[in-house]
Amino acid sequence: MRPTESIAMSLANDAPRFRAGVILALFVMVAAPALLVIYQSVLDAPFFDDNVRFSLDAFRFVLTDPEFYRALWTTTLYAFGMVVVAVPLGGLLAFLITRTDLKGRKWLEPIVLVPMFLSSIVLAFGYTVSVGPSGFVTIAFKSLFGAAPWSIYTLPGIILIGGLSHVPTVYLYVASAMRRLPSDLEEAARTAGAGIWRVSLDVTLPMVLPALVFSAALNLLLGFETFGIPLVLGDPNGILVLTTYIYKVNTIFGAPTYQVMAAVTVFLILITLPLVFIQRRLLRHARRFAAVGGKGARTNLLRLGSTGQAVALGLIGLWLLVSVFFPVGGIVLRAFVENWGEGVRLTEQLTLANFKAVFEIPSLSRGILNTILLAGVGGAIAVAFYLLVGLAGHRNRGRSGTLLDYSVLIPRALPGLIVGLTFFWLFLFVPFLIPLRATLISLLIAYIIVGLSYGLRIIQSTLLQVAPELEESARITGASVYRSWRDVVIPLVRPGLAGAWAMIMIVFLREYATGVYLMSSGTEVIGSLMVSLLTSGAMDQIAALSFISIALTAVGLTLALRLGAKLHD
Amino acid sequence: MTELVVDNVEKWLGGLKILSGASFTAEKGRIVALLGASGSGKTTLLRCIAGLEQPEIGRIVIGGKTVLDGEAGVALPPEAREIGLVFQSYALWPHRTVFENVAYGLRLRKRPAAEIKTRVETILDKLGLAHLAARYPDQLSGGQQQRVAICRALVYEPKVLLLDEPLSNLDAKLREEARFWIRKLILELGICAIMVTHDQGEALAIADHVLLLKGGSIVQDGTPLQIYGQPTSFYAADFMGTNNVLSGAFEPQSDGGAVIRCEGWSLPGIWRDAEPPRDASDIRAVVRVETIMVSSEPTATSQPLDVEGCIYLGDKWEYRLRRGSVRLRAQGASELSSDVAHCTVQPASTWLFNP
Repeated sequence: MRPTESIAMSLANDAPRFRAGVILALFVMVAAPALLVIYQSVLDAPFFDDNVRFSLDAFRFVLTDPEFYRALWTTTLYAFGMVVVAVPLGGLLAFLITRTDLKGRKWLEPIVLVPMFLSSIVLAFGYTVSVGPSGFVTIAFKSLFGAAPWSIYTLPGIILIGGLSHVPTVYLYVASAMRRLPSDLEEAARTAGAGIWRVSLDVTLPMVLPALVFSAALNLLLGFETFGIPLVLGDPNGILVLTTYIYKVNTIFGAPTYQVMAAVTVFLILITLPLVFIQRRLLRHARRFAAVGGKGARTNLLRLGSTGQAVALGLIGLWLLVSVFFPVGGIVLRAFVENWGEGVRLTEQLTLANFKAVFEIPSLSRGILNTILLAGVGGAIAVAFYLLVGLAGHRNRGRSGTLLDYSVLIPRALPGLIVGLTFFWLFLFVPFLIPLRATLISLLIAYIIVGLSYGLRIIQSTLLQVAPELEESARITGASVYRSWRDVVIPLVRPGLAGAWAMIMIVFLREYATGVYLMSSGTEVIGSLMVSLLTSGAMDQIAALSFISIALTAVGLTLALRLGAKLHD
Repeated sequence: MTELVVDNVEKWLGGLKILSGASFTAEKGRIVALLGASGSGKTTLLRCIAGLEQPEIGRIVIGGKTVLDGEAGVALPPEAREIGLVFQSYALWPHRTVFENVAYGLRLRKRPAAEIKTRVETILDKLGLAHLAARYPDQLSGGQQQRVAICRALVYEPKVLLLDEPLSNLDAKLREEARFWIRKLILELGICAIMVTHDQGEALAIADHVLLLKGGSIVQDGTPLQIYGQPTSFYAADFMGTNNVLSGAFEPQSDGGAVIRCEGWSLPGIWRDAEPPRDASDIRAVVRVETIMVSSEPTATSQPLDVEGCIYLGDKWEYRLRRGSVRLRAQGASELSSDVAHCTVQPASTWLFNP
């Protein structure tokens, strides 16, 4: 006889009410924006309008607009181009740093990750002021060689810069797969007679292939959702991707056309949602692959030899020059000068005027304060929220666990710009939310949703490090499930929570897209201010804000390392 | 007094039956060992008693209180079962001192601080840990950690003490000592204890009662002497001890005895299986290695066998003997010098079973 499932509740389904409550609340928070977008897309006016009716006009407009098709095509090219640039480079970097005796690989690793911690709007601006048509590097190059044979305001330029800025993401996944690779697999091939390069090709590469494929899928998704780089670099030549198309729709019509924005978003979700699901499957597959091996002390690093060292270091140096030094250096320089050009000595132009202006304009100085508040205090609140969600999902094999799984996926398919927009709508018209719109709380809620999948992954992996027996022994000793969380789980994960807080802080510091629509007078944040300043062309202030953003990120990163945060998992 | 009743407990994992109707009872002041190979369901059974797994069917009563009743839908969580569990990994909380680890159960039971202090100190002192009270678990040796885990599980006087492979993380010398003092401690406290182990030596040395599990059900239960000396199935006979196993045909004798015929050999023995022979042409004989007597001179009952080799084991020698395709292992005090040895296989030690 097969017993019914009804009494087959296991220990995992303790605290069912807490779990169901938290997970349902989360589901509402993530589903509301997605559903609102879909609803708005089939209306003929803003959904709060009195005379609103169902209509497919928005889709009709979008599908007959050549600009939309151009943007769709550009986005596709951008996403795939980014993968083509980022995946081989990231894989190669991971191989050189984890598998060879490359000199200085210990201190190269954190530097390699720098582009990941900067917001892409800051990066893009950095490229404008360094290698743009009148950038420092371009001018210096012109004065030396007479001409600068590049233009970053073209699609290939944008793709290249987008790809370079995503190398760290690939690097992280591939490097951790290479580190997990048990050395006995390679040693077995060595003893069977394969040379060291042969082993890399025949054993190492196939073993890290799942990680490569996964990071390709991830970058494809990030490519479709990209906003900052095309916004800054594509604008001068009118190159639009889907997100910037959504952003520019208002200027085309001259008035808010929410239904058109929503319709384009629906198309975007149709692309990103399948990508999210593919990624999820790939990740499971990659984990299964990785679970095969145990841990082995890696004694055999590939010897590069002096020529190899020179080539590898040269390659990495070039990448660092272009990916880190140009944008960051450009911003640092630009923040302290007002005039430059051919024949101008920059040393005579150094000034603090840009910063003075920033601190004199109330909205900008408020923005800096708000950003720090949102990242610091908001980050802590976010971690507390993620911890609640993490506990609700902790060793939860019930139905609510599945709902949680899917809830986490939804925001990944929505770019920050859209999450911000829909929360703006919600805070504009849901009665009990209206008073919160002009406060930082509205931004914080949107930020929590945007950071959900990253934040929850950190918390979940921290929670999983607590051995189940430690919780079980508390239960046996007489503690309820809540007591066992309070007395055992949370004290044990506390160091991990501090690290998670620092990492979330960095994520919130660099966020720029979410606040574009959501911020209002009094709730400005640095990133979104930069987006709106771009329209007015206030480059001096953008430069100063970018510099401040980099400085804050550096502080956050130092804090994260101090608190023992792992930059990768 | 019966402290634990386990009645017809069934546990499924998807379509797989992990426990199929296990039943037993355990008394105060007695130690029951759940013995079995890996995958026999012994740990699952222990976790069902603890409330860490939820069986679909069955009834469990601890200290007179029904903690599980599949039919009535009763399933108390672990914290309401008044049990103590010593985990295989000890599961000491790394963020708490030894004292705090042990005191936690009393704190949860809201005992006054003074009482907690005396009770924790008393039990730590009893197990020779008093001087380690302020240490953290990672500052202790494996043996010390084990004793702390036992203190933690005992200090609030649970009705039933559960031990999951308590000796498996100790080195060989410590393990032999632990067998002795753990048994002594439990008998002294007069508590009901259930121990899971895969090591038959451990089960025989510590327990008053051994349950042998196979594929989720109990194949035999009895005292250590019964389990080792009177197995009622081929599995039980072969699982315990070091054995010679012979296959052959069954020949009943007129005097009520039995003979196994294999490869031109006929060995008189005793039918030990709980069931009569199913197929007389295919039965098994189990002969414990230590019961075969080997001498260099023939005796009235001995059979000559070729000596294939002798292995020195330190305290004894093991002989590898052969006759035709039949191979036997036996033991003795000295190396065999000749190529032929004379073996006596006693009928009382030749146990016959269905395969």
